[in-house]
Amino acid sequence: MLSKYILAIETSCDETSVSIIKNGYQEIATVVLSQMDIHADYGGVVPEIASRNHIQNITLVIEEVLTKANMTIEEIDAIAVTYGPGLIGSLLIGLMAAKTLSFIYCKPLVPVHHIAGHIYANNLVKPMEFPLIALVVSGGHTDLIYMKEDYNFKRIGGTLDDAVGEAYDKVARVMGLSYPGGPEIDNLAKIGEDTYSLPTPLDDDSYNFSFSGLKSAVINLIHNEEQRGNIINVPNLATSFQNRVINILTKKTMRALEEYQVKNLIVAGGVAANSGLRTKLTELCLEKHINLTIPSIKYCTDNAAMIGAAGYYAYKLDRIDNLDVNAKAVTELQ
Amino acid sequence: MNYLFIDTSSSNVIVAIIKDTKIVSCFNNKIDNDLSVKIFSIIETVFEDSGITPSDIDTIFVVNGPGSFTGVRIGVTIAKTYAWSLNLKVVPISSLELMATTNFDGDYIVPMIDARRNFVYGGVYDRDLKAKHPDRYIDIDELKSLVPTNSVYVSYDELNIEHLKPKIDLIKIIKQHSNDEGVNPHQLNPNYLKKTEAEENLNKDKI
Repeated sequence: MLSKYILAIETSCDETSVSIIKNGYQEIATVVLSQMDIHADYGGVVPEIASRNHIQNITLVIEEVLTKANMTIEEIDAIAVTYGPGLIGSLLIGLMAAKTLSFIYCKPLVPVHHIAGHIYANNLVKPMEFPLIALVVSGGHTDLIYMKEDYNFKRIGGTLDDAVGEAYDKVARVMGLSYPGGPEIDNLAKIGEDTYSLPTPLDDDSYNFSFSGLKSAVINLIHNEEQRGNIINVPNLATSFQNRVINILTKKTMRALEEYQVKNLIVAGGVAANSGLRTKLTELCLEKHINLTIPSIKYCTDNAAMIGAAGYYAYKLDRIDNLDVNAKAVTELQ
Repeated sequence: MNYLFIDTSSSNVIVAIIKDTKIVSCFNNKIDNDLSVKIFSIIETVFEDSGITPSDIDTIFVVNGPGSFTGVRIGVTIAKTYAWSLNLKVVPISSLELMATTNFDGDYIVPMIDARRNFVYGGVYDRDLKAKHPDRYIDIDELKSLVPTNSVYVSYDELNIEHLKPKIDLIKIIKQHSNDEGVNPHQLNPNYLKKTEAEENLNKDKI
């Protein structure tokens, strides 16, 4: 088979990333320029500041990846780019750069859904086997997706309110932890004990999730304890919160595998870096003989390598767009 | 010399190809929405009409602000990616200076863009496009106090001050800047003239 090279661009939030991926699974080169330090001063990503940084860096990052790969744009087969969901101003920088390259070099433009990218990050670890269930957990998403083949996404459930990563960040802020709060809670949860009484998030027959009740319970608990003059045991609260989250995520995921009679589970998104979640899923899958894939930490956070992996399959399936594709802040995975 | 000119800093979008001192093809129209969807079909059409291919371009002129933040970024991202990838000269142009190419009677012309809350982006230019007062983000009354007598205001926007509608002279702006050195495409950035609100609030907190 003739090798195909995808140049992929990802600018949906606060990382400017460009990657070259061969045949959907082999990473030739990736550059990720994170703005995390810039946004830390504001306690979260400021969209206008993110856009301003993306435009400053976009050509530098494209150039660096080509230099690392020792390739030219002429040698690329298609340009893949995240078109959504994400911050519209940020998405537009990557999309405009991708369209410009596509226009000048007459290369096909392949728009990629950000979540398809997170799912296909797994293909960079080992070839994805179908059918599979994907648990997508990030700052913007908590979804259970059934895939019977490449690029066939059936959402069987998802969050009804806060995404899991969002709940982590909000709870961390109230606990006085630094931004981004998810990794902080995960670290503290390793040393704490599950001593606080917190409600179990939505535990019904559906595959939907709800974390806003749990989030509010933590916030109320902190306020009440402060009013009483009690000191919060932060590690214990982190453990108690994390256990509730992980229990429900893993419970519904394992049930989906059983009901759909699927033997392959992949985990995707930034919260896939959570060590508590990784440990629990590893244990459960071992017990149930499920073939589990979790991307290495560097592929869990936003990066263009995953967009290049997904983009390769989209390209193979001829999911190519002309240059009038728009950036979308909110868009269904399809 | 083949020049590509791009202005997406306002809803009055201009894409043009100029050969030496002659406009070969030009789009100059109002685009009220979905610029990011439409911009490449505009660029493609302008190229088709010109008979010039993208790699025939020698220099790109791009309006890099002030104006709509998103609009400016669309044009600047295209120009910087284009210029970087083909190693072309790229020259940033002020949206206000561009408006100052409008023909007028008087000594000075005062281009303005509505920046809301009684503020504008404005500057004061003479007939040779020399800036008497450089572009700035300014209270409209303060700007008025800077403006010499025998001046004419110009703006696309509805402002509470008598003004002309711009009539852009592309040849004039290109002649003015054709000998500019240009900038390294990596360093080509929008000229917002205004910090983000988040940065302003953060600075306030520090004071």
